[in-house]
Amino acid sequence: MKKYLHIYKSELMSNLQYMLNIVFRLVNFLLLIFIFMNLWDYIYDNPNELINGYSKNQMIWYVIITEIIWGATDGRRYCRKISEDVKGGNIAYMMNKPYSYIGYSIASHLGETTIKTLISVIVGFAMGLFFLKDFPVLTLPAIVIVIISSILAVLINSLLVTFIGLISFIIEDSNPIFWLYSKMILVLGVLFPIEYFPGIFAQIMKYSPIYVTCYGPAKLFVDFSYSTTVEILLSQIIYLCIAWLMCHALYMKGVRKLNVTGG
Amino acid sequence: MSVISVKNLSKSFKVKQKEKGFIGSVKSIIQPNYKVIKAVNDISFQVDEGEVVAFIGPNGAGKSTTIKMLTGILYPDSGHIDVLGIDPTKARKKLAYEIGTVFGQKEQLWMHLTAYDNFKFFSAIYDIPEKEAEKRIEELSKLFDLEKFINTPVRNLSLGQRVRCEFVASLIHKPKVLFLDEPTIGLDPVVKENVRKLIKKMNKEYHTTIFLTSHDISDIEKLCKRVIIINDGTIVMDDSMSNLKYHYMDKKIIEVKLKSKINFNNVKGIKVLKEKENNSRLEINTNETNLTTILKFINPENIIDINISNIPLEEIISAIYRKE
Repeated sequence: MKKYLHIYKSELMSNLQYMLNIVFRLVNFLLLIFIFMNLWDYIYDNPNELINGYSKNQMIWYVIITEIIWGATDGRRYCRKISEDVKGGNIAYMMNKPYSYIGYSIASHLGETTIKTLISVIVGFAMGLFFLKDFPVLTLPAIVIVIISSILAVLINSLLVTFIGLISFIIEDSNPIFWLYSKMILVLGVLFPIEYFPGIFAQIMKYSPIYVTCYGPAKLFVDFSYSTTVEILLSQIIYLCIAWLMCHALYMKGVRKLNVTGG
Repeated sequence: MSVISVKNLSKSFKVKQKEKGFIGSVKSIIQPNYKVIKAVNDISFQVDEGEVVAFIGPNGAGKSTTIKMLTGILYPDSGHIDVLGIDPTKARKKLAYEIGTVFGQKEQLWMHLTAYDNFKFFSAIYDIPEKEAEKRIEELSKLFDLEKFINTPVRNLSLGQRVRCEFVASLIHKPKVLFLDEPTIGLDPVVKENVRKLIKKMNKEYHTTIFLTSHDISDIEKLCKRVIIINDGTIVMDDSMSNLKYHYMDKKIIEVKLKSKINFNNVKGIKVLKEKENNSRLEINTNETNLTTILKFINPENIIDINISNIPLEEIISAIYRKE
């Protein structure tokens, strides 16, 4: 574990060189939050009105949290990197080091996105507090649980994106698969809570990655309860194990077929 | 004691074939056609502890594929590999602690970190305790003369300085075997010479076994006592450097500048390599003639300048590649 922390730390140190780039990339985040603030402002006639169990402020906080988590994964860049490692043969040069490629990739990726995520948290919370003048009531244990659930969400999402990237072992380009995955998460998970979807569809979504990567931590943040906590954390742990096993199995199968020619 | 043992090793690659043009592209989607290329074909060899072995061959001969199998990156189709008593296909991670690799065409350092931070990173990767890592970095910095730029980000270092850092990163965990895949590629002659000195020093000081591939014959000539030549996936020669040269001792090169031109064509034992006015470059086969006869034929009175040398190693190796 120590070596993965070191990988994380090294990537974090490396990325301090790109502070300005990171700040520029936040423009998207700011715009999206701003658009959704106005959208929900328009939809809700009365700020205290509940739609599918959510008030206007809860909906805006929901989007802020899911956007921070989704941004923390920065899946498009990460998936492309894994895919290029596989297709370009770079993976071969990492295999003769005493670490797991999956562990290395995730630690390095999280090191890359940490600064961006921290700035997103500060900016997102500042915007929420400034425009809504409201903050969900959370006890200290609840805050700790929300943080744990958010970290688990980022880890699961990173593993699922790793899995999609590793599909490049089988097909030429895994980017179209990532495109489908990201659009599914974005449209069905980041923007709307599960309660907004009709009965059977909502039930199916409870078993999908959306529940553990977006809905879970955001729901705990806007509407905390211990019964939901158990359900969400349990689902996240199961998903984490399954995602890791899937990545590991695909990696092991892929490296046996690895075809790296030339010096 | 042998540290690398390879027996009947083979590896093939399936390469997709495509007919030309648009129709060919469509056809390759519907009915993909693959060609099997035998990259390594039933090779066997052993390397002893402390040896510096050159593993050479033309492009596409199977050198890098062999190194990748020896380091556990690629899985062989058949055959057996033993590196330091470990089978790379079964215990790649365990082997990684015992070996080091430098791929001249692939940097392993973090560009935005300083050389020192990079070494600390590699120490952590190889589970080296903090104190021991510091000691090792200090020792290697002195050996490779890195003190002046150890705290400079790698991206700001010259290529030569970077290569030295690559070596240190590969040696931080005291590997028993070091695989060098074209370590001097792209370096200027001065830096190349420095790198060769360092490899020699490393072998002498730490008794590290070195397995080297390079297209630069000087690397091989100056560093290795043994040469394994691979071509089309099979080993065509495995011999000591002195033997390699000895086999071609029957050929000499004479470069001569004459007062008046002599026709060397059709003279037994002489092959004209180049001729320009009164200057000639000749290859002499000493099995067919001898140097005294040749000198008499030229007539010493007619000679302005003369140089007699052995066949350059580069030409010897090229001849072996061409199976001459």
